This record gives sequence, structure tokens and C-alpha cells, in this order.
Amino acid sequence: MTLLKKILLPLGLFALVAGNVHAQNKELVVGSSATYRPFAYENPAKEIVGYDVDIIKAVAQKAGLQIKIVNTPWTGIFAALNNGDVDLVISGVTINEKRKQSYDFTAPYFEARQLIGVHKDSTAKGLKDLAGKKVGVVTGSTGDDIASLEFGKTSPDIKRFESTPVAISELANSGVDAVIGDNGVIAFRVQEHKQLKTVSDPNFPKEYFGIVVKQGNKALLDKLNTGLAAIKADGTYAKIYKTWFQAEAPALPAQ
Amino acid sequence: MEPILWFGWFRADIIAEYGVMFWRGLQMTILVTVICIAQGTALGLAIGLARLAEARHSPARQICRYLLRWPSTVYVSFFRGTPLFVQILLIHFAVLPLFINPADGLLISGETARSLKQNYGAFISGILALTLNSGAYISEIFRAGIQSIDRGQIEASRSLGLSFARTMYHVVLPQAFRRMLPPLGNNAIALLKDSSLISAIGLAELAYTARTVAGAYSRYWEPYLSISLMYWTLTLGLAWAVKRLEARYGRGDTR
Repeated sequence: MTLLKKILLPLGLFALVAGNVHAQNKELVVGSSATYRPFAYENPAKEIVGYDVDIIKAVAQKAGLQIKIVNTPWTGIFAALNNGDVDLVISGVTINEKRKQSYDFTAPYFEARQLIGVHKDSTAKGLKDLAGKKVGVVTGSTGDDIASLEFGKTSPDIKRFESTPVAISELANSGVDAVIGDNGVIAFRVQEHKQLKTVSDPNFPKEYFGIVVKQGNKALLDKLNTGLAAIKADGTYAKIYKTWFQAEAPALPAQ
Repeated sequence: MEPILWFGWFRADIIAEYGVMFWRGLQMTILVTVICIAQGTALGLAIGLARLAEARHSPARQICRYLLRWPSTVYVSFFRGTPLFVQILLIHFAVLPLFINPADGLLISGETARSLKQNYGAFISGILALTLNSGAYISEIFRAGIQSIDRGQIEASRSLGLSFARTMYHVVLPQAFRRMLPPLGNNAIALLKDSSLISAIGLAELAYTARTVAGAYSRYWEPYLSISLMYWTLTLGLAWAVKRLEARYGRGDTR
């Protein structure tokens, strides 16, 4: 029956009501990698919650979009966007030039910096001090890009993991000397381990997280930007920020 | 690097850029497979014999039962009854830190532990998990092989005054080994492919390399197709080697 439904429903219904259905009424699938506390993670009730989730829900409400959040592993998240499994991605994705060539980003919704997690007895002051040490990063993340640029893409000193918690566990177990990652997550994870501390490299540039859509999907991008502007204007944004980071929201650039 | 396109879509330059890493990854995959086949076979033989251990008089009877048969049965049941992926994570993040840990490792601690973990941590855990896992499967192959030899042969050679060990070595195992070759070959091929799971704990083998490339470029065809071809070549080679061995040990077996 389910198989029949899967085949017949789209065919039959699509033929019947195609043209009548507005894009707005279609449920949009949001991809988010739920191993990224406090941005997106699964709570014990198996719901995906976090800062990213609250933001996209608020944006969708303002923009009049129906959304469904689907836990999508980080390594496959852009592939899922490319092949249409998800319509948009909100998963702590840093806006950068390389990604802008392949995808479209909304205005920023979070100000991020890279942060280094190390053992308390470490004397490292910044990225340069990590030369010759084992550095853990999340595959394909901004931390990976920074480490690859500094130490070489194929350097065996870079150890890549699926998610930040795994990389931090490896650090806690002394499998690596340092982990480079996004400030929100690194700070949250490091305070779970007594023997670890964070190091902020002043040379790391300010970065921003944006919501990602397939390149050229201007209709959706405009709606998301409108929704984002609306929640920034009416104070919803500041409230969500405060809930998750216990601090005032910083002013974000418009683009 | 300028994009080099093969057949209009295959970005060969990406593979070339990470060539060193693919080469090192290939070597690592082969190394892990060879080590685990050797250790798994030795362990499998020991466990397989332990599962068959029997004696008539006490205390040997009790020793066989409680110290050999029961533990080995539980061991096989656990390693066949839980996912290899889970075993790898369990060993790497829970078991290994217990024994090798800079702070309070039961086996090795201090600076030695730190450098050992950083340079060989994932390698040790991966080898350990894969060996224990394949040992469980191989022990069943040995047990089945040994049990397939007619009991009368064992009774006959024992009556002729051969010890249990000599009976095994001269009479049972040579015949059993011939029957065990096809399943052992299957196991070796499965082991080669399963070694890709170790990439989750950051061991730089083939799957890890592909993930790194996919993460850096958000391109999936090039890295995964490349390693698929490498794995395929390796499994074809293994299958061929097993076939040769079968022919070698099957001489005089033609009907």
C-alpha cells in the first residue's frame, strides 16, 4: 500500500492539481546536521532543536513558508541540496567565497569566529603555534579550510572527523593536540571537559553563518531574506540569540 | 590549479591535487587489511579450537567448559551480534583511553601515551576492532571446517596414539583448511571493505581521503568513484589470490 501510494500519489495528484499548487503551500525540506549543539541537536525526545532551528522556524513563519527539518549528516549536506533532497540548509554554514561560487546565501544570521580548543597545559597562543602538532577539524568545515591553508591540504597532521563532538572527544583523549572549529560549538563542548580550554587567535577573521539555497533559487532566497529581516526588526532575533548564547545579539551586516 | 576536465565532467585536477593522500590512503588500507587478516586468522583458529575444547575427566572437563567454551562463545556472540561501526567507536573512545591515557592509563600513561595516541591511536583502535571482529567470524569458519571432518578420523588417529595436537595438525586441519578457503576468502574481502569504517575515528585510509576531498570541494563523483575503483581492484586481486590458493590446495581433489 505504501509503495503504491508513493508511486500513485505523486503521479495522480500532480496531474490533477499541478498548476493550482502555489510554491508557498509546498512543504520545504530544511537540512540540518543535528550534531552541532547549540546550533542544532536532537533532544531526548528525538526532536531537532537549537539556535538554527529556532531561527529558521521564526523566519519561515514570517515568510509564510511551510517547513520540515530533516537531520542530514554534515558530509552529505551539500549533496542533499544539490540533488534536491533538501530545499535549504541551515546548519551553521559559514558564508565564504568558495561556497558562494556554488550556492546562494541569505543575509547573515550569526557572527562566528574560529576558536581553538586545547588542553589546559598547552602554551599555544594561535594557529602558528600548532605547526607540527596534530590538529583535529570537522571534514570540509571552515576549520578544515584554515588548517589546510596553513599546514597543507594533504598534511598528515590534520585529522578530520565527522562532527565537532567526535573531534573534541579525540582531543580530550589526547588523540590530537588541538581542535579548530566554530566558536559557538567549541566553547560549548570545551566547558564539558575540565582539562580543556579555548584559545582565540586574533588573526582569525570574523565570519558569518547564512542560510543556504541552491544557486539561482532566487524566489526562495528572497522570501528567506524577507523573513530574516522581519525577525531582526521585531526583536524575535534578539530573543532567540539570548536564549541560546546568554548574550546580547551583535549587530549583523545586511549582506 | 586549473580545472582539468575528463569526459567533460570529471575534475581530474582534484584527484591529482590530493594524489599523495590517495596514495598514502591506499597503502594504509592495504596495511590494515593485511594485518587484520593475519591476526584475525590466528585469533579465529584459537577461538575456534577453544569452542570445540572437550575433556572427559575433571578438572580438565570444567576448565574446558568454563574457561574455554563459555568465554569464547560469549566473545563470538558479542562481536557477531553488534555492528562493527559501534565496536570501532567503543574501542576507540571508551576502551583504549582506559588503557592508554596520558593522565591515568592502566597500561601506558604519561608522555609515551600521548605520543602513541597521537601518532597511532586510530591505527591501534582500528586494527584492534577489526581483528576482534573478524576473529569472531573466522572462528566460526574454523569450527565449521573442523566439525565437517568425520569424527571417525579423529578417533582413528587418537587410537593410533597421536596426541590431540598432532591429530589436529596432521589429520584434521589440512583437510579442513581446504574446505575453509572459500569462506576465508569471502571474509578477507569483507574485511578489506569494512576497513573503510575506521575512517570515522580519523585514520587516513581510502574512505577518509575521499571524505576529505568531498568536504573540500563539495564534489562527490570524483573522490568516491576513484576510491571505488581502487577498492574494486583490491578485491579483484584478493579474489584471484584465493582462487589460486584453492587450486593449489585442491590438487588431487578432482572427481
